[in-house]
Amino acid sequence: MILGRVVGEVWAARKDARLGGAKLLLVRPHAWYEPAFATGHLVATDEIDAGVGDDVVVCLGQPARLSRGRGDDNTPVDAAVMAIVDRVEIDADGAARAGAAPGIHRRLELPRGLQPPRRPEPPR
Amino acid sequence: MLLGDVVGRLWASQRAGGLPGQTLLLVRPLDARGPSRRLIVAVDRLGAGPGERVLVAHGSRVRDLTVGAAVPDKDIVVAIVDDHHVDAAAAGGAGR
Repeated sequence: MILGRVVGEVWAARKDARLGGAKLLLVRPHAWYEPAFATGHLVATDEIDAGVGDDVVVCLGQPARLSRGRGDDNTPVDAAVMAIVDRVEIDADGAARAGAAPGIHRRLELPRGLQPPRRPEPPR
Repeated sequence: MLLGDVVGRLWASQRAGGLPGQTLLLVRPLDARGPSRRLIVAVDRLGAGPGERVLVAHGSRVRDLTVGAAVPDKDIVVAIVDDHHVDAAAAGGAGR
């Protein structure tokens, strides 16, 4: 699963019949997945009514098909919104450090909105 | 799934067994700054053509469901996009 932000919607009338009326959201993965998402966006189906500006958890691959409430694997999609994020806590310095996780090769700036609250100065 | 623009068709007189009868499209995925430099070859059964924007799904299961397991390509056009909207304010802080 990946963390990203809903930046838009996609509408399509001509589509594979099994897509049905699924809502299609344009999601921009947050930067620390680079270069896994070379295009900078992905399109995910949404059944939990996420909206533009929400941070969401997107599931990729087979679980994205199983998520669609049908319990089968027969929808030709490869990404689905699994959760709308209320709050993220992150160790800004640790998580963004080069080498902290696979694929992170340089220090990353956190996306706007994911900035952690400033910690109070420790007592002396 | 990715959004991309159909930039051409592809024909081949010698093909692997599963390919005859399929339409092969050259699709240029969009990225945050507009069209990317990457091209993908996608199988299309919806009748998309050059100039149209399409939704391309990837994977063997998607391929099996849409064009059949015999097709040796895992990038499949699953929708022809009428319109899409990007919210500039939301996009401004994401992906950085």
